[in-house]
Amino acid sequence: MEVKEFEVWWKIPFKHSAGLHATKFFEGLKEGKILGVRCEKCGRVLVPPRAFCERCHTETSEWVEVSDEGVVKTLTVTYMKFTGLPDPPYAVGVVKLDGADTGMLCFLGGIDLSDWRKVHETFKPGTRVKAVWKEEREGKITDIEYFRPLD
Amino acid sequence: MRVAVVGFGQTPFRTKRKDKTHPELAFEAVNAALEHAGLELKDIEAVAYGSMDPFDGIYCPERWDSTACGLEKPIMKISTGGTTGMTTALAAYEHVASGLFDLVMAVCVQRVGECVDAQPVLNTAVDPIYERYSGLGAIHVASFQATAYMAKYNATEEDLAWVSVKDHKNALKNPYAHIKMDVSVDDVLNSRVVCSPLKLLECCPRSDGAAAVIFASEDLARKIRDNPAWVVAETTISDSYYLGDRLSFAEWDSLAIAGRRLFRDAGIENPGKDIDVAELYSPFTIQEILELEALGFAEKGMGKEFAREGVTFMDGDIPTNPSGGVLCTNPIGATGLVRFGEAALQVMGEAENQVDGAEVALSHAWGGTLQFHTLAVLSSKKKLG
Amino acid sequence: MRIGIVGIGFTEFGIHKEPFYNLAFTAAKRALDDAGIERREVDSFILGGYDNLGVGRTISNMYTAPAAGAYLRHEIRVSDDALFALPLAYMRLRHRSDVTMLLAFGHSSETPIELVELQSLDPFFHRPLNLTLPAFFAMQSYAYRSRYDVDDEKLAEVVVRMREKGSKSSLAFLRDKVKVEDVLNSEIVSYPLRKLEMAEWCDGCVALILAEETVAKRIADEIVWLDGVGWSVENYYFDREFHRLPFVTKSAEMAFKMAKKERRDVEALEICDLTVDYHCMILEALGFAEEGGGWDYNGDVNSSGGALCTNAYGSTGVFLLANLAMRIRKGEIDCGLAQSMSGYAQKSCVAILEG
Repeated sequence: MEVKEFEVWWKIPFKHSAGLHATKFFEGLKEGKILGVRCEKCGRVLVPPRAFCERCHTETSEWVEVSDEGVVKTLTVTYMKFTGLPDPPYAVGVVKLDGADTGMLCFLGGIDLSDWRKVHETFKPGTRVKAVWKEEREGKITDIEYFRPLD
Repeated sequence: MRVAVVGFGQTPFRTKRKDKTHPELAFEAVNAALEHAGLELKDIEAVAYGSMDPFDGIYCPERWDSTACGLEKPIMKISTGGTTGMTTALAAYEHVASGLFDLVMAVCVQRVGECVDAQPVLNTAVDPIYERYSGLGAIHVASFQATAYMAKYNATEEDLAWVSVKDHKNALKNPYAHIKMDVSVDDVLNSRVVCSPLKLLECCPRSDGAAAVIFASEDLARKIRDNPAWVVAETTISDSYYLGDRLSFAEWDSLAIAGRRLFRDAGIENPGKDIDVAELYSPFTIQEILELEALGFAEKGMGKEFAREGVTFMDGDIPTNPSGGVLCTNPIGATGLVRFGEAALQVMGEAENQVDGAEVALSHAWGGTLQFHTLAVLSSKKKLG
Repeated sequence: MRIGIVGIGFTEFGIHKEPFYNLAFTAAKRALDDAGIERREVDSFILGGYDNLGVGRTISNMYTAPAAGAYLRHEIRVSDDALFALPLAYMRLRHRSDVTMLLAFGHSSETPIELVELQSLDPFFHRPLNLTLPAFFAMQSYAYRSRYDVDDEKLAEVVVRMREKGSKSSLAFLRDKVKVEDVLNSEIVSYPLRKLEMAEWCDGCVALILAEETVAKRIADEIVWLDGVGWSVENYYFDREFHRLPFVTKSAEMAFKMAKKERRDVEALEICDLTVDYHCMILEALGFAEEGGGWDYNGDVNSSGGALCTNAYGSTGVFLLANLAMRIRKGEIDCGLAQSMSGYAQKSCVAILEG
């Protein structure tokens, strides 16, 4: 007997409130600024900003602008297509911006992504990179299109 | 109160178990565990149930599956990501360790095969405000680890491939394992790159299946079987949320901290010497290497040598993942419980791919975007040292 | 060995514009402050709340564990209404913890919860029929009302009384009083259930600091003891009696047995009245009212206003418990019982507290 299969979708809408901290960060992006918060206890500058320092368990309120240049800590290039996720190839990495103590997740780009070994060579951990901004910014994380190698 | 594992049951893990519904799969694992322990369902006093709902497309599946675990028994639902299976085991264990119950079952069910693609689900674990847009999933964070580790310690693609060769070889001996194929280093290196530098044969499959573990209090454990697996120590650790806050991708330092705590509680001084076999949660080759280093089996930067040198193979000093591990079988929310159960079987001397004379076994799971770890030491002896 | 509550922290309960983990942080901070301890003194964190669809993030404790203060600490989450996490916290304390935080998070305002709950039904037999939570609740209401011939006006009076209590609580979400006519004239959601006869979703978090007896006495002078917990489940399939809740009885029996207490010891109740009919049925299942007579119960129930005034999907049960604990701490009562329920009225958890 052929076992029946039913195609079922979960289509559930969400409206996620960003809260005051992230909202301020997104407003900054519109102006081409990357904002972080400094934890007054441990002194670390946290990017992206959040309402509390997880390490110290204290509220954060001191705003700091950080650079849109930084250092690649790690990366990967995706070559397989996953349902609903970006079309391959795309490169994501963690970049520690100058002035920040934490890394930020971002796209890496501006080069040909077809050969991963070349991409890893170009962006190897320690490489300096700079944000490439969208011309029309909407106050979204994707206002930064990607980070490119800094010549 | 000392607690022992007295029964473990698992279903064969496959791409898709079309023959059964969700609770029917739970029922299969529950019965296998009861049979192993020589018990009946009515003997079980309470149940801890674990699953990661969205892979199966059923929200709070314990509601439906409670029908397979014995109606009206107190049931507690645990979900903690990849650690779910092991935190469910620990929750069941707490039931007995607290003295409230004598016989408690942990049940985990997961049908990743029911979900047309798992990566988009994994992506929903990532913060929708700052990070989800990036398409990040488990495989990406593992690739981050691989990139950083290879750069820092000059590890090669071949080093990683050897882990896959070893796990696949072990899975051939395990009838419950999902992927069964003999693979060579070249096969691994020639498989397509999924997320660089990781290749298809370095990544786990998506598996359907269920597992159950039965815990008993000290007196009862001895009555139930001659060779119970004693829970010697256990711990969990929870790190900060943002990946970017944990910049040491080449080392898994939260696991190192948890391991130190675990071994202190267990009375283990030298993990490499005192532990006979390890079931580690390594769905991606690189992770076994990082885990071996974090847990003190290997020096930093030396874990890459272990599979290549045969240390982690069945006849090596530290047989790792004799079951074939997560690389060959990954029913996500049940995977941790399989690690735990397989570790128990090893110290009972009843594993399908048995390490000769194993007395002390380590079980591990990680979850979140590298955020959580759960660890346990099981032994044929009540106390080590 | 006894286990006591030594710290309580609430956020405001309402519709929030901050993400749930920021609320969780506030509740955790307030509980720590209330106990007068640092987060480093907490060795175990037990979280209670829903996952994935419930809050729009799979593995929701990735967010709430750091908010609770669990950084590099032991942490496990029970994925249910948070009162179901209380037994795990209790067992952890009995076994090996000195101080445990129970963090309850609830967030309903970002997604349609009825649609979320519908996904808990199997995709073959029940879900395709679109039996929503309110529709199921209404089926029970109908069975209850027709079985005992309960007058709608009597039930409306229960709502009026509960909303009156809610109006006096600074913690409650709904604080407007209502009249019997308001209730009877409110829109029918699913026959016979009217809008004002049902709980309304909101957001909010609660954290409790619990400690083992000797440790508890070092931390606080006024300790609220957790004497007993009980939890149970009803058959998923609908071959059950719709007019009563035997699984609630069962969870209470377990808690009473553990607490070595009897009903007459209990001076106040906080119950999870997701509908006015459940208010009555729970009182009956707990043995505080005759079957069919719950509407007439004039004892001390839901001084917080109950779920009918405050229902943050995920934290409701602990909200009720914490309200009860506050009263015990203030000396208003010596002993009380809190109850919660989840799913399609399938699971119940009961806790007995004492001063």
